[in-house]
Amino acid sequence: MDWLHGAQAVFLKDARLELRTRFALNALGLFVAAALVLLRFALGDTAVDAPTAAALLWIVIVFAATVGLGRAFVLEEERGTVLLLRLTLRPSAVYLGKLAFNVALTLALNAAAALVFLVLVAPAVHAPGLFAATLALGAIGLAGATTLLSAIIARTASSGPLLAVLSFPILIPLLFFAVQATRLAFEPGATWAAAETDLLGLVGYGGVMITASVLLFDYVWRD
Amino acid sequence: MPTPDRDTLILPRYGVGWRVFTIVAAVWMTVVLCLGFLGQIAKLPILEHSARNLYFHVPMWFVLMIGFLLTGYHSLRYLTTGRRLHDVRAEQAAVVATVFGVLGFITGTIWARFTWYAGTNVWWNADPRQVMVVIQLLICGAYFVLRGALEDERLQARLAAVYALFALTTMPFLLYVLPRRMASLHPGAEGNPAFSEMDIAPEMRWVFYAAVIGFFLLFGWIYTLRVRIRAAELRLAERRQDPLTV
Repeated sequence: MDWLHGAQAVFLKDARLELRTRFALNALGLFVAAALVLLRFALGDTAVDAPTAAALLWIVIVFAATVGLGRAFVLEEERGTVLLLRLTLRPSAVYLGKLAFNVALTLALNAAAALVFLVLVAPAVHAPGLFAATLALGAIGLAGATTLLSAIIARTASSGPLLAVLSFPILIPLLFFAVQATRLAFEPGATWAAAETDLLGLVGYGGVMITASVLLFDYVWRD
Repeated sequence: MPTPDRDTLILPRYGVGWRVFTIVAAVWMTVVLCLGFLGQIAKLPILEHSARNLYFHVPMWFVLMIGFLLTGYHSLRYLTTGRRLHDVRAEQAAVVATVFGVLGFITGTIWARFTWYAGTNVWWNADPRQVMVVIQLLICGAYFVLRGALEDERLQARLAAVYALFALTTMPFLLYVLPRRMASLHPGAEGNPAFSEMDIAPEMRWVFYAAVIGFFLLFGWIYTLRVRIRAAELRLAERRQDPLTV
């Protein structure tokens, strides 16, 4: 139970710090809103069909995630609190806490992105449940893949564009499944059964990424 | 993790086995090249003589995959043993695999331009196999970028090993799941990710198998030389810093 309490404590600490400044939430929200407004301007009067809409939405989400999710461990390094975390908690507890926080952040990001997208680009959503499930599963996969990578880039001297470089090739399976499932949700006659493989792919991807991260996090975390 | 000792970079001298290996590899590759360019092939419309590319293009893929798996293996060994030689091997396997990957990508793109896309004036059509290999090359590129971003030698080795293993976990998706979900012109698109027995003419099969073995021998040769050079460079750098202890 100690271990779970530790993870919970890390999560609550991050959540409390975030709610105090709301920096990441505001930055991510504005990033998504600005990107989608730009998108609408660039599109002009062009009508967007289902495959294009799904692709555009997920590109914005993935870019926003690589901008916003890199901070989890960089902040600890900047504040000099890494050592204390290392002393007090087992690595897997730290990872789990950070992962939970990133999942929460990504869920908020996806919800905001989807809302703004529905208003600005206005695709016809024929299966709202499927759309929501895809966004939620995508958030878990996205956070699962980027949390370990953000721990890696926190150890480098210049972490600027590195998270994007490291995560894009790894996020491609996620992008594929998520875009496919979203496209199905935007098309008339959408059924859960049609999207089964893509949803299972998302679940599998998230599971593999989180499992691999738990196993590898030790080596990133300790000195 | 055990602390790495300084002697881990000292490699044994070349033995007779190595001499035999280089001769076999050189002769083998020469024979493969001769058979590949001069041997009998099944002349099919559109493919014509470009079918010979099979002997060179496909083994390059195998080398890319095996090379990156080797990087993964040595990354794992580095994380468990902390021996620097494993780090050197992981990096060099990635370097050689990337070179073969880029060559395979070039030969594949040109080949596709004049067979799959013949008459369409298209170079690139987002075919899953082409996309997958670009992803694999991007992963290799990201691996080198990460290595460049870290100055501390041990941290560099450890984080690069973690990234290589993390990237390897996406391989099942890239190789087995996605290609089955996308339409493709590549042989084997109907289910089996590799090509099936039906796709290759009987007279070409044996040359192809020989070419695969030949490319593996070539990979082993280049890889071994690069590992030894890199190990020697690292030892020289150490000696310059600290002349008495090495």
